[in-house]
Amino acid sequence: MLDIFDWMNNLGVSVAIRESVWMSPLVNVAHLVALVMFVGAVLIVDLKLVGNDEGTPVAAIARGAEKWFLWGFFLLFVTGVPQLISNALREYYSVFFWFKMAMMVVALIFTFTIRRRVSLAAEGTVAAGTRKLVGAVSILLWASVAIPARLIGLFT
Amino acid sequence: MAELLLPLRQLFEYFDAFESSIAIRESQYLYPGLLTAHVVALTMFAGLILMMDLRLIGVGNMQTPFSQLQRRLFPYQMVGMAFSVITGLALVYAQPMRFFVNIFFWVKMFMMALAGLNALAFHYLTYNSVSRWDKDPILPPAARLAGALGLALWVGVVVSGRLIAYNWFQ
Repeated sequence: MLDIFDWMNNLGVSVAIRESVWMSPLVNVAHLVALVMFVGAVLIVDLKLVGNDEGTPVAAIARGAEKWFLWGFFLLFVTGVPQLISNALREYYSVFFWFKMAMMVVALIFTFTIRRRVSLAAEGTVAAGTRKLVGAVSILLWASVAIPARLIGLFT
Repeated sequence: MAELLLPLRQLFEYFDAFESSIAIRESQYLYPGLLTAHVVALTMFAGLILMMDLRLIGVGNMQTPFSQLQRRLFPYQMVGMAFSVITGLALVYAQPMRFFVNIFFWVKMFMMALAGLNALAFHYLTYNSVSRWDKDPILPPAARLAGALGLALWVGVVVSGRLIAYNWFQ
C-alpha cells in the first residue's frame, strides 16, 4: 500500500500541484464549496426524516435532492483526488485520512441501501421511530466523514 | 486610509494581548477544535441556505412550496449560523492580528454584510407576498434575484473564508 501512495506522491501532476502557488488553494476552495452543496443535499432529507411528518412527503424531497447529492459527491471526488495524490505520503501516515475513508464507505453503503429505502418508501409504510433513527444515523455518519477530513491538515 | 483604520487596528491589538487570546492561540487542541467546529457549522448553515436559494432561483427542491421549505429549514439555519458566529468570533479573538492584515478576511466580512442585507430585504419585502407565488415553479423576479444574490454572496463568503489560510497579500 505504501508503494502505491509513494507512486501517487511522485506523479508529475502531484509534483506540479505541490509546486504551484494557486493549484492547491483552488482545489481546496472548490472542495469546500462542493462540501457545502453536498451537506445541504444530505441535510434537507435527513432533517425531514428526523423532523415532523407534515407537508411534502419525504420521498419527493429525497428525489429532488438526489441530483444535488450526486453532483456534490462527484465534485468532492474530483477535487479530493488532486489533494490525495499531491499529499499522498501525508495522507498515508494520517490516521484521520484512513478513518475518513472507512467512514465514507460505511456512509455510502448506508445511504444507498437503508436510507434510500426508507426515504423513498410510500408515506406511512415506515414507522416514525425508524425514520428518525435513519435520519440521525445518516447525519452522524457524514459528520464522521467531514470532521476527521478537516483534522488531516491540522495534525500531521 | 491608514489613519482611518488606526482605531480598528488598536482594537485588534488590544484583544491580541489578552491572556485568554494567547491561550487559545497557543493551545494544541482548542484552536484546531474551533476550526473544525466552524467548518461543520458553516456547511450546515450554507448548505441549507443553498438548498433554499436553489428553490428561489427555480432549479432545485421544486416539489416543496417555498414557505414550507422556509419554515422547515429556518431553525436549523439559525442553529448553524449561531455556531458559525460563536466559533468564528473565537477564532478571530485568538489571532486578531493575523486576521487584521488579511485581505480575504475583510472581503469575507464585506460579503457577509451584503448577504445579510440581501436576506433582510427578501424577508421584509419580497416574502410578504409569498402566498401569491408560494407554489409557482417560476417565482417573481425579486425572489429569483434574492436567490441568485444569496447563492453568489454565500459562496463568496465560503471561498474568501477558506482563502484566509493563504496570506498572499500582506
